[in-house]
Amino acid sequence: MMELLAALENSGFGTWLREAPSIWAYPAVLTLHTIGLGVLVGGNAVLDLRLLGWGRAIPLAPLERLFPVMWVGFWVNAISGVALFVGDATTKGTTWVFMTKLVIIAVGVVLLLALRRTVYGRGEAGAVETPTSRMLAAASLALWFLAIVTGRYMAYV
Amino acid sequence: MHHTLDLFAVWLRGTSISEAIRVTPWLWPVCEILHFFGLSLLIGIAGFFDLRLMGFMKRVPISAAWTLMPWAKFGFALAALTGVTFFIGAPDQYVDNPAFYAKVFFLIVANANAAYFEAIYRRRVESRALDGDGPMAVKVIGVVSIVSWFFVIYWGRMLPFIGNAF
Repeated sequence: MMELLAALENSGFGTWLREAPSIWAYPAVLTLHTIGLGVLVGGNAVLDLRLLGWGRAIPLAPLERLFPVMWVGFWVNAISGVALFVGDATTKGTTWVFMTKLVIIAVGVVLLLALRRTVYGRGEAGAVETPTSRMLAAASLALWFLAIVTGRYMAYV
Repeated sequence: MHHTLDLFAVWLRGTSISEAIRVTPWLWPVCEILHFFGLSLLIGIAGFFDLRLMGFMKRVPISAAWTLMPWAKFGFALAALTGVTFFIGAPDQYVDNPAFYAKVFFLIVANANAAYFEAIYRRRVESRALDGDGPMAVKVIGVVSIVSWFFVIYWGRMLPFIGNAF
């Protein structure tokens, strides 16, 4: 396992990402990771806050269009995250903080899918609010904020 | 000009509050986390409102989208407060950093744009006069807002790379 992580880290791409004195290497990838974070967590916050009772005048149905926005943020971060991991594999691949972050993100994705199905999965009946959707919204908001906590913590390991 | 700023940074760094920020080990990481919470709330809620101003999601009345804006302002307050904490703790990292001035420039653009919107359009938003499709001026305000907030993030991220801070 350690050899694989070291091989990743010392690969051409890993070395380039970490060491290239270019604004297009590490700085650009880290910037994309920050922007993706804002789009995913922020877009999610709009839907969650609405489901938790703020902005009640906002009709739920058009908010389904937030999901493609969130997925863009998610994939930007999945891809930039893999790149950041490759550049620092022996550290990130061996710390419980990173493993925790991955678990949080996995649960966050499952919650997002469940949230969409709960609120928008009724077809003709349109968007619905239920105690379950409120619970999922609260959990989703908390999970993505926890993903930020563990992600920020990565800077100190 | 630069000399004065350097003197200011030296003075600020020497104050007891600046030292307190540096010697409290948990404070900086906690502020970073809150800075990112604030960033997400701001870009999410304000970005949603900006997209609506631009004409997306027309089934959402602008007056309704507006009611979430206190959360964007809360996010901004979180990020601003923690940002000021960073500046007080390590002013020397900022006063000679071109990325910092670029960030401040876009912060001023974004806030002036938001203040202009509130001053001119708030009453019309709250009286639901803008609920349908807003005038072109409102769409431009939405574009300026979302673009300038993303540049605030971009230049914030560049702080350690262009100006070589931290």
